[in-house]
Amino acid sequence: MDMNEETSGARKLRCDDTSKCFELLESILDGEMDNSKEVLKDKLAKCQPCFEHYHLEQAIRDVLKTKCTKHEVPTELADCIRQKIQDIK
Amino acid sequence: MSEVQRRKYSQEEKNTIFDGEFMPHIDSMYNFAYRLTFDEDDAKDLVQDTYLKAYRFVNSFEQGTNAKAWLFRILKNSFINEYRKKSKQPAKVDYQEVETYYNSDDVQYQSTSDLRAESVKDMLGDEISNALNSLAVDFRTVIILCDLEGFTYEEMAKILDIPIGTVRSRLHRARNLLKEKLKGYAQNMGYDTDEEEAI
Repeated sequence: MDMNEETSGARKLRCDDTSKCFELLESILDGEMDNSKEVLKDKLAKCQPCFEHYHLEQAIRDVLKTKCTKHEVPTELADCIRQKIQDIK
Repeated sequence: MSEVQRRKYSQEEKNTIFDGEFMPHIDSMYNFAYRLTFDEDDAKDLVQDTYLKAYRFVNSFEQGTNAKAWLFRILKNSFINEYRKKSKQPAKVDYQEVETYYNSDDVQYQSTSDLRAESVKDMLGDEISNALNSLAVDFRTVIILCDLEGFTYEEMAKILDIPIGTVRSRLHRARNLLKEKLKGYAQNMGYDTDEEEAI
């Protein structure tokens, strides 16, 4: 979280406040942060744990999205709903 | 659905809203219902009941607002009221209790940092799906709403009737729990999850 950390080029290996940082990174991934690009760039460049956490979070989301949203809808469901609505009209 | 009664839509408007704004979400609705009930017939009934309720209460839907969030809210309430008892999921977990329990614990970040992003990318559908399904329903729900369906925190708060702060913390806990499950799969697949502790 420390924005004044010197930038020596290498990422620091310890994160001073993983709890706050990781929640912040999640908010950024969830699209809940303004000026997120600058904050993110800064954090990922400086901190190894944040860098890893961010990429892991992103990977899990990608996999969830591609593998868990393809449950096929029964073909008759939409017709069934329309029919029932006709009945109550 | 306790909002103030808005103006009444004509029959034609009702049909337009139903076909144009409600029906396009049937895939997401069924997916959500299936992940709540784990049963295809229950999921079908749940979606059907939700759409019938949506039609019946269409006057309380304000055209131009987020129909998907409105429908998800009805579905989630129907699930709690009618389907939770008979669904095949493990015994009900009281989320307040779960949250208190997990919040009282300092989160173990070691477990999250040693699961490599690469091993997650290689996960098969069943593994990630089982990991998600094994979460308690309140944790599973926030992951579905956020990561699968892309709702904002504000929309989730409305769908779930909880404050935004609770949405945020529940999501955070849910993700940590999911990583715990995935770690187990990764280890079974032979990934070395104990390598280099960064923290």
